[in-house]
Amino acid sequence: MTTTDLGMPVSGLQHVPHLPDGAAKQTKRDFTSDQEVRWCPGCGDYVILAAVQSFLPELGLKRENIVFVSGIGCSSRFPYYLDTYGMHSIHGRAPAIATGLATSRPDLSVWVVTGDGDALSIGGNHLIHALRRNVNMTILLFNNQIYGLTKGQYSPTSRVGQVTKSSPLGSVDSPFNPVSLALGAEATFVARAMESDRAELTTILKAAAQHRGTALVEIYQNCPIFNDGAFEVLKDRSQQEARIVRMRAGEAITVGAEDDRKVLVRQGSGVMKFVSEAQAETGEKGAVVVHDPALDDPSQAFQLSRLDTPEMTHVPMGIFRQVSRPTYDDLVRAQVTGAVDAAGGPAGDDDLAELLRGRDTWTVG
Amino acid sequence: MLGSYPITPASDILHALSSMKRHGVTTIQAEDEIAGIGIALGASYGGAIGVTTTSGPGIALKSETIGLAVSLELPLVVVDIQRGGPSTGLPTKTEQADLLQVMFGRNGESPVPVIAAQTPADCFDAAMEAVRIATTYRTPVVLLSDGYLANGSEPWSVPGVDELPGAPVELASAPNATDDQGEPVFRPYLRDPDTLARPWAVPGTAGLEHRIGGIEKADVTGDISYDPDNHDRMVRLRQAKVDGVSVPDLEVADPSGDARVLVLGWGSTYGPIAAATRVVRNTGAAVARAHLRHLSPFPANLGEVLRRYDRVVVPEMNTGQLALLLRGTFLVDVRTYSSVRGLPFTTVELADVISSTLEEVR
Ligand SMILES: Cc1ncc(C[n+]2csc(CCOP(=O)(O)OP(=O)(O)O)c2C)c(N)n1
Ligand code: SF4
Ligand SMILES: [Mg+2]
Repeated sequence: MTTTDLGMPVSGLQHVPHLPDGAAKQTKRDFTSDQEVRWCPGCGDYVILAAVQSFLPELGLKRENIVFVSGIGCSSRFPYYLDTYGMHSIHGRAPAIATGLATSRPDLSVWVVTGDGDALSIGGNHLIHALRRNVNMTILLFNNQIYGLTKGQYSPTSRVGQVTKSSPLGSVDSPFNPVSLALGAEATFVARAMESDRAELTTILKAAAQHRGTALVEIYQNCPIFNDGAFEVLKDRSQQEARIVRMRAGEAITVGAEDDRKVLVRQGSGVMKFVSEAQAETGEKGAVVVHDPALDDPSQAFQLSRLDTPEMTHVPMGIFRQVSRPTYDDLVRAQVTGAVDAAGGPAGDDDLAELLRGRDTWTVG
Repeated sequence: MLGSYPITPASDILHALSSMKRHGVTTIQAEDEIAGIGIALGASYGGAIGVTTTSGPGIALKSETIGLAVSLELPLVVVDIQRGGPSTGLPTKTEQADLLQVMFGRNGESPVPVIAAQTPADCFDAAMEAVRIATTYRTPVVLLSDGYLANGSEPWSVPGVDELPGAPVELASAPNATDDQGEPVFRPYLRDPDTLARPWAVPGTAGLEHRIGGIEKADVTGDISYDPDNHDRMVRLRQAKVDGVSVPDLEVADPSGDARVLVLGWGSTYGPIAAATRVVRNTGAAVARAHLRHLSPFPANLGEVLRRYDRVVVPEMNTGQLALLLRGTFLVDVRTYSSVRGLPFTTVELADVISSTLEEVR
């Protein structure tokens, strides 16, 4: 599924220069920098890096027109390892910096790499404002439910009760659901993927890159050092099928293996619930929910995001929302170009002289 | 591109620039002060002239990003229209108490050039100067003004467009070094020998892909470096770059040529000090006057000027911030005349100060 399938003709990469026809095909190596990767052995960040390095060539963009901006955290070291332009900025501020860059440079594919602490704690304000403005950029939020770089304090996505270095008796903080948060900020593209599911992650990354507007992709990432196994129940093959809800546009939302499939229905009260296939067929428990990420009203996507519970009984994966809305940077640029065009073209010396003279000028003898 | 969050008395700049779209000016009203400077820095990274405007409380919030810009060595103009502090203080009143904040209010050794406008008309030239320094030296620059200037007005001799100093900027377009194998490579922290500025290679430039960040960088290559000697070298290089910013010598006005007292001011006290020295000179007394526009780096002749006089009086609308810098830098016993009432000095009060200082050296 791509943005084009959903009838969204304007790609997020529309103004970004592509490789000329017949140019040598890029490979993963082209996107690999010469820097030694410094994550702990077994860190989920390696898997995401490999997925991104392998998928970027598929976009067919000129490498020099791709920029990765990150904040601070283990995840935020990402730009150093990619041979594109990159900025490792300060804690939580990457979406703001990326907003300035994306607004002044429509010819760039702008990516933000952030962690659960970076994006949702210290940088929460910038995240929600980037989402509501709908700046043309893709935000990859590596959620390991812990502060990795600072060696293991609870984060805004840690579970209640989670024992960490700074919560020896268990965290009493109520966590954010990043997808619900993004939908609340009226994000136009919101998705979730698992670091370990390369195929699904790649599909989502591609759709996110092509989305015009802010795309938020939450990626569940294991931190084997400070929060090992946080997503183990979703990786464990014996449990995976019963827990992961794979959302596909135009299809019913189901979970479970062939012989024990459950189908999501909406009850009269509006509440969503998984029922057996047989019950779903009769409609006795409610109407089958068909996934439609292109719905303008974010309510259904929000409801889907609430299926997720700390116990991870049912965790939706895939694209929750993918709608078209004017982007902030396009609108800002349109006002400037509109003003320039209305005045008959770019300002020249005469226009500057007029600006300097202002409204209240007189000549002294 | 301007990134800004509304605050008195700086909002008028946001208002004015937001109606200059016809001239290609882009303004973004950010979600907060930190985003305002982040947006400006992001635009600078992309090759625009990034500007952020605020007052003292906003500077406090922007400090970490100013530090990032110091480390990234990208051009950035930070405008601080000072008001009474601390905290919310006297939002609509004037003060000069952010000098030390903009000089030192960041973690680590984080030097930035600082310029202060002297009169409402001078704000124009001071802003041009800030842009010149930011783009020439690839550094954040702080431009200080205050509530008195922001709300003041005076006749301004409109410059001709051809009289305006250009701000030619050369963006990097090709590799600037060769590696061990003799292959051309791009070294993002290889400096211009004269200015010590690093190349400004903006995204979209083929072959110059590189990564920058706030972690200490290795000299020349810009790779991450935790090497102690490299850090020491980089700290000194960043300082040397700012110290080496070309700044005109300080001019002293001493019509009689035999003054023994110098009145030295900075920023918006220009008008009151000029008026007060005129009053004193009209009584037949000799007094010299000078006004600092560049507070970092100081003009090269400043130490020599200070030592020329028996007494140096520094009137400031703070408790002696410039005086502290002058004493520490030049070991000269300057005298502070200080008033922090949220009001500009009056001619009468400064004339009295000058007269009584003249008495002391008689
Ligand atoms: C202003 C500031 N405060 C605190 C820190 C310390 N710090 C660095 S990373 C981090 C948390 C990172 O957590 P997260 O965003 O989840 O990234 P992860 O390391 O887990 O990938 C903190 C608190 C900092 N760098 N800057
Ligand atoms: S601390 Fe955790 S998140 Fe950070 S590099 Fe190590 S394993 Fe990865
Ligand atoms: Mg984390």
